[in-house]
Amino acid sequence: MLGNYFYHEIIRKTIIGFGTLFNGISIKHKDEQGQVISDQKVALAYGPAQKFLARIDQQANLNKAVQITLPRMSFEMTSLEYDSSRKAGVTQTFKSVSNSQMKKVYMPVPYNIGFQLNIFCKLNDDALQIIEQILPYFQPSFNITINLIDSIGEKRDVPIILNNISMQDDYEGDFSSRRALIYTLNFTAKTYLFGGIADSPEGLIKKVTVDTYSSTNTKTAKRQMRYVVTPKAKKDYNDDQTGDLTLTINDTETLIPVVDSSNFEVGNRIIIDNEIMYVESIPTSTQLYVERGYDSTVKATHLKNAVINLLTAADDALIEPDDDFGFNESFTYLGDSKAYSPTRQIDI
Amino acid sequence: MALNPFFLQGSRSEQNLVQDLINEQLKIYGVEVTYIPRKMVRRQTILEEVQSSKFDDNFLLEAYLNNFDGYGGAGDIMTKFGVSVRDEVSLTISKERFEDFISPFLEDENDLEVELASRPREGDLVYFPLGQRLFEVKFVEHENPFYQLGKNYVYEIQCELFEYEDEVIDTSIDEIDKTVEDMGNIIKLQLFSTGTNASVTAHVGSGYVRQLFLNNDGSGYTSAPTITFSSPTGPDGTVVATGTTATAVAITTTRGGITSVEKVLLTNAGAGYTGSAPTITFTGGGGAGAAATCGINTDRRGVVRFSVSNGGVGYSTVPSIAIAAAPLTPTLRASGEAVVSAAGTISAVRIIDAGAGYQASAPTVTVGTAATVGVGTFWFNELVTGEESNTTARVRRWDTDTNILEVGIVTGRFFSGEQITGSKSTAAYDIQYVGGATTTLTDKYQQNDEIEDESDLILDFSESNPFGSY
Repeated sequence: MLGNYFYHEIIRKTIIGFGTLFNGISIKHKDEQGQVISDQKVALAYGPAQKFLARIDQQANLNKAVQITLPRMSFEMTSLEYDSSRKAGVTQTFKSVSNSQMKKVYMPVPYNIGFQLNIFCKLNDDALQIIEQILPYFQPSFNITINLIDSIGEKRDVPIILNNISMQDDYEGDFSSRRALIYTLNFTAKTYLFGGIADSPEGLIKKVTVDTYSSTNTKTAKRQMRYVVTPKAKKDYNDDQTGDLTLTINDTETLIPVVDSSNFEVGNRIIIDNEIMYVESIPTSTQLYVERGYDSTVKATHLKNAVINLLTAADDALIEPDDDFGFNESFTYLGDSKAYSPTRQIDI
Repeated sequence: MALNPFFLQGSRSEQNLVQDLINEQLKIYGVEVTYIPRKMVRRQTILEEVQSSKFDDNFLLEAYLNNFDGYGGAGDIMTKFGVSVRDEVSLTISKERFEDFISPFLEDENDLEVELASRPREGDLVYFPLGQRLFEVKFVEHENPFYQLGKNYVYEIQCELFEYEDEVIDTSIDEIDKTVEDMGNIIKLQLFSTGTNASVTAHVGSGYVRQLFLNNDGSGYTSAPTITFSSPTGPDGTVVATGTTATAVAITTTRGGITSVEKVLLTNAGAGYTGSAPTITFTGGGGAGAAATCGINTDRRGVVRFSVSNGGVGYSTVPSIAIAAAPLTPTLRASGEAVVSAAGTISAVRIIDAGAGYQASAPTVTVGTAATVGVGTFWFNELVTGEESNTTARVRRWDTDTNILEVGIVTGRFFSGEQITGSKSTAAYDIQYVGGATTTLTDKYQQNDEIEDESDLILDFSESNPFGSY
């Protein structure tokens, strides 16, 4: 039943997001005169590691001359817990578009990931320098925006909450054991886990038809009017290059010179550079009367030889998701008793 | 009478005999270790910690190794902080030898640095040459064996491997100092090799734009706007078809959060401008308001462009551009400004003033010398200082082939372009850039850079977050 393979690396990304909060912390040491004599970045790593790899990396030549270098910080994931307070409807979905393909995504499942940050220092003063650089950012949470799933561009704010701080300072006892100074900070990252993402069979809606009736009882009432809306291109897609400007025009001229006006018809929408114009009449074989700045575009100066493209249904068909587009509207008066069948796509 | 009256139970001569015998035994059966006293650079009160220390002395001493079947301690263990080596040793040293041969030297030291000279101290280091390891004295036992003939003759010092942070270890014995060569926070500096000077050629022409005047620097720019000149026109106002339209670049600056055009420089002064001065338009860049005019020269020759035939090596600052004087009237000398690429070469030279009065042959152009001196060899463990940042560090490794200098115990941040000088070797090089493939490394434990790189791919910094700064 389960077993549809998917892996979004969300937990790994949350681990990286958490780790990156602490990778720029440094500490300073001063001499008696107050001059800085050392400014070092605190080493940070994800604690759990493959043992053989840790040994061959960190103890390549076996004869390690010192016990360890300090200060160090390590962090690790300690728990995964369902967060019912952020639960969303289980059947709720949202659509996302990627590469012209509709994706159907179920609402993610909220999970709290527990993290532990450990700080190991030689000196208490070092630990305090590190702690003071961390704590003020958490009140008690700090948000990072993580791109959880690249394929659907899903960015989520993940609050990271500082839950508690504990410290260990073994300074008592005999001299056979060394003092160990370890601060432990526990955090919760409120992330979201997504299930599999399916390609939606529905595709993009490119046409909407609405029939209106004269009464709420659609069985007896007659249909009055049909309203159909389809997307209308606001830029040229098919690069038809129907004509060229033979002279430069300014942003107010409505009589525009073209090579051959027979390629155009009254009612055409044409686009020059980014300005759309509406052909109102064709007075001569080399001129067009147009309405400038059509479809809310900006009137502009166009240079000689600028390409004139026609905006037609061919362009409308090529509109991509996320493009800026307008609407073609049509109204039909029906006055009949038929109903539209969406499956057969005819009136019956 | 409890004690045997025929023995003295600890006369000075008996005690001396025992001490001599012990010294002799230690010299025969012992190991030659190096005793390195800790010198305190800063002791913090209240928290009672020695914040910084240095180890710059060494004393050879014989010591008997009490561990006959390997190190004590927990050995090599994997912790959440990486691999930790918990080896321990116990050494016996002669009390008399320490007091005679180490204490007098320690007493001469600065009292602030060395607090106690009479005995081996916890916190000092012992270099164990067999394992090539640095041990830190954890505890000094002075009563074992317990008052033989009324006196103690040896110290038993219990040691654990040193925890290294940023202590200066400069004992002048390379074998010891190099044990921490790869330890701690190490920064890579890519230095320039010895610089070579660039060579630039000037090209002369007539009917050119001589100089640009920025009349309004505009505001609100997010990038440098594009500058466009109108086409060259003749005295009658017609476009000169054989002319060349001048080109220029705008250089922006940001002050008080507002970016505006700081200056405009010609990249090509054009040709055929024999009528009126061209108009100059600024487009793009996200801002508005910038305006400039220019002066043209219609009847003399000036420098119309520069070509870089050899970009040179090792330019860390913008060098001067000296152009030979114009021999003919009105003898206006041209001037230019070099553009230094990130790689330290001269990528282009732009015209500030095209001058006037040059002959048909191009004037010579002299580019300032490559700033890099790049001499000498850095010595291990010497202090290096950045000339501008005044940051100091200690040399860990110097690769003469790649010019990569690895330094540790850094006191601040080095800048690209500044000169770095060795205190003992007097080697001096300019820094090309700080970092590189990996900026820092600590025993291959730290993943700061990897985490940073990975997070750049998934974290979104573009949207401002009202609840946090990321």
